Amino acid sequence: MARKRGRGMAACWYGIARTATIDRAAAWAEIDDGGSAKIVTGVTEIGEGILTVLAQIAAHEIGVKPEHVVIGDNDTARAPEAAHAGASRQTYMIGNVVALASREARKRLVDVMAEMWDVSAETIHTGNGEIWAENTNHRISMGEAVACAKNRGVVPIGSATFGTDTTGIADGKGGDGSGRPWQAYVFGCQVAEVEVDTITGEVQVLAVWAAHDVGRAVNPQGVEGQIEGGIVQAIGQGLMEDYQLKDGHTSTSGFAKYILPTSLDVPRVNSIIIEDPDPIGPLGVKGIGEPAMVPTIPAVMNAIYDAVGVRVFDLPATPEKILLAMREKARREAATSMQAAE
Amino acid sequence: MVDIRLNATINGRKVSRDAKPHLRLLDFLRDDLNLTGNKEGCGAGECGTCSVFVDGVLMKSCLMPVAKAQGATVDTIESLAKSGELSVLQKAFHKAGASQCGYCIPGMVMAATAALRANPFADREEIKERLGGNICRCTGYQKIFDAVELARDVQNGRLPSTALLETDTADGDVIGKSVRRIDAPSKVSGRLKYAGDMIMPGMLHVQVLRSPHAHARIVSIDTSAALAIAGVESVITSADVPGKDGFGVFVHDQPIMARDKVRYVGEAVAAVAAEDALTAKRAVAAIKVVYEPLAPVFDPDEAMREGAAIVHDYAPDNITKHIPIRVGDVEAGFAESDLVIEENYSTQAIEHAYLEPEAGLAYIDHDDVVTVVSPSQNITHHRHMLARIIAKPISKVRFIMSPVGGGFGGKEDMIYQGMLALLAMKTMRPVRLVYTREESIISTAKRHPSRTTLRMGVTRDGRIKALAMRMVCDGGAYGLSTEGVMRKAAILAAGPYNIPNVRIDTFGIYTNNTPSGAFRSFGALQTQFATESHLDIIAERLGLDPFEIRRINAMRDGATTHTKQKLGSVSLMRALDAAEQASNWEAGAPTVRGPTRGDLGHDDVRPSVTLGARFAADDKQEAAE
Ligand code: FES
Ligand code: FES
Repeated sequence: MARKRGRGMAACWYGIARTATIDRAAAWAEIDDGGSAKIVTGVTEIGEGILTVLAQIAAHEIGVKPEHVVIGDNDTARAPEAAHAGASRQTYMIGNVVALASREARKRLVDVMAEMWDVSAETIHTGNGEIWAENTNHRISMGEAVACAKNRGVVPIGSATFGTDTTGIADGKGGDGSGRPWQAYVFGCQVAEVEVDTITGEVQVLAVWAAHDVGRAVNPQGVEGQIEGGIVQAIGQGLMEDYQLKDGHTSTSGFAKYILPTSLDVPRVNSIIIEDPDPIGPLGVKGIGEPAMVPTIPAVMNAIYDAVGVRVFDLPATPEKILLAMREKARREAATSMQAAE
Repeated sequence: MVDIRLNATINGRKVSRDAKPHLRLLDFLRDDLNLTGNKEGCGAGECGTCSVFVDGVLMKSCLMPVAKAQGATVDTIESLAKSGELSVLQKAFHKAGASQCGYCIPGMVMAATAALRANPFADREEIKERLGGNICRCTGYQKIFDAVELARDVQNGRLPSTALLETDTADGDVIGKSVRRIDAPSKVSGRLKYAGDMIMPGMLHVQVLRSPHAHARIVSIDTSAALAIAGVESVITSADVPGKDGFGVFVHDQPIMARDKVRYVGEAVAAVAAEDALTAKRAVAAIKVVYEPLAPVFDPDEAMREGAAIVHDYAPDNITKHIPIRVGDVEAGFAESDLVIEENYSTQAIEHAYLEPEAGLAYIDHDDVVTVVSPSQNITHHRHMLARIIAKPISKVRFIMSPVGGGFGGKEDMIYQGMLALLAMKTMRPVRLVYTREESIISTAKRHPSRTTLRMGVTRDGRIKALAMRMVCDGGAYGLSTEGVMRKAAILAAGPYNIPNVRIDTFGIYTNNTPSGAFRSFGALQTQFATESHLDIIAERLGLDPFEIRRINAMRDGATTHTKQKLGSVSLMRALDAAEQASNWEAGAPTVRGPTRGDLGHDDVRPSVTLGARFAADDKQEAAE
């Protein structure tokens, strides 16, 4: 049998937002003429889909459609600080702060309408571009409401800041590392199914089942995209990628030598999104960008072992290493059976 | 060189223009015609971001001399949505969430268009083969395949065109819905401008001189010959830095260009701004640097030894950062264990390989604000550091984050923005720098290569009594994010398990290798690879199912972490259950059960590929065996 299949699994945990320091972010929100929303914050998209997530959050909080949210971003001179785009912190830090700023802007608008309609603010609802008071026939578009507010001298804006309750860890001389590095943790587990070609040593990852807690999925398709992309990057590191140096000079300075996963190398990824809401932030969201990558490599290595009985301790698990390990295993087994026969 | 007169039909319009004969078709399209939708991801025919149609055939325009397009019909990504209306395939990419950073997407859309033209009924496996020449670093390809299948079905009438429309959010709640990405139309159409696509009037082009040595003293730098070249506006070295030179995410140990000595091959030594990139390149070649080689150190374990070459004077032991975690008494824990297993693990350096190589613009605005536009993942911190380096108040420094064509941590370092700012200040003109793929690979951060020794002790019933881990990482020539990577690696090293006795030490070490820095999963990938492999080794020895051994030790609600933090709700058990159920996992100890398992090859598993199988039926036979 030339090809053998096997399965392996691995679990993971991860901390959301900056590590062992106080993280923070700010945003401004405005309900604009015509009933659209304007959100301003200091970071932008690095591909993860944060702009869409922020538009959804602002739309949800203010009561407009996501396509009516305009995001002003990415400029240290024109937007409030949102710190950096990394550490799986975007949905958590910026998402939460945009929710808070949007709530404040909405409250300004609602307060004006409550006074105008002579109802209590709690009875006013917004959604889908409209604002109305329950048990009344007061119902107008957000655009009209903004005009009402402006006629009374009020521009419906909000701003917010969101910080974490975290600490450094005791990692100085003699320290034990204790501390509160994050306030939100996520957990995950992946199962991998592989096929190992026992003649060439080549490994194909055929499927990965990936279950990850994200707190609350704002955009499930985006969450899946992060999981799928993370898994494939991990497979790159697990099986093929290798930045090689000899005396400080690299021999892999282009994509001809530095091998990356292509469309033919990727598994079918089956994502299972778990929602264990974060109790601290206003939305319950956490994060997914980095944790998605963590369990893949050990799950694949455990699956290779299941398939052919060899374990790679030294990444990447190239065909050469797999073959070598299989040969050594065969030699070892031959030696033991010979001993047993003696 | 005499210009050639190029006559061609480009995106449906006749074009007749002079072109420099050394240009590739890609340069002509991007630089001369400002058709920047198609990108240069590698310049070597390896990535597909530059894919266009030439006489209807999919071609990598980075490989084609412009003269070859004489008389041809060329269609770029801009041709697909010419009237502003996206093509079915572009709409399908939008709907399926097939674009992330978007940098590969114009080329991918071209390749997918070609695939469906070649076979309008192509199945998923054929689609994969036909997209095999296009790399995407973000998406994992799955949603791209989904998009092509969706477009195919709509084109064939198997699905109505409403399948391409937005998810319904009429019930008002938009959280939890897969709303289409708001940035996707700009990405699938090639309209989004990344830094390397941007131009400013009067803009100069920047090239960088890089170190050929891993460790050498800079004796002298003579820039006079470079400055004498017509078209060269400025040449800078570390001597031109007006403020306190030094950047880094944690320790500011890296000058914006090498100061007094070089510490790795590829380190920036000088930079030139000139009227065009070719002149700048010539000027770089004319800079004379005298080096005096120093003994290098390439191995982190050697670097920790007495007498090793010292990379930074402030760290005579070459330790960038050591992070300890201590819980209980590990030796006592091992003594109580029925089984103690020790293994060594190692991981290699890998490259982020975001499809967008580093690029940026800088200019001085009308209020004397030094402005840098670049795909920086940390404009806040970069602004602070640059202000100090160029000795300006923070209010006179502005960072604009251009769309990031993939980052994965690799664009958190302020590796080239300092040179851009300085050249803009020197010339008072806009300046632009676009890295080649090679430059990006040799000079920017990698994932920390690691060597880990892990020792774990368990009782017969599978309870982990003690864990001792020591990981040594090659941090390379500069600190960048090493300190943070070591910290996160250590905090998460033991996994989400209750372990009464823990001793973890992670070390980030200076060497003369390419620096290591932030990379998605930031040290946790290295340490948890070891821990999760180890658990399976132990499970086999104890005859326990892999899920079982993890459940026995799993943190539950209210658990205390290895940094002595009390957690609230812990979702680990839910994740274990969900993965086990979804995969229909067949329980049992990991004793090489593969050949006997009953849970393999379900329909949520892709078929295995045999390259060329489409053409050789025999291979199929073999795979089935
Ligand atoms: S294939 Fe042309 S730029 Fe990569
Ligand atoms: S979306 Fe493909 S490279 Fe980023």
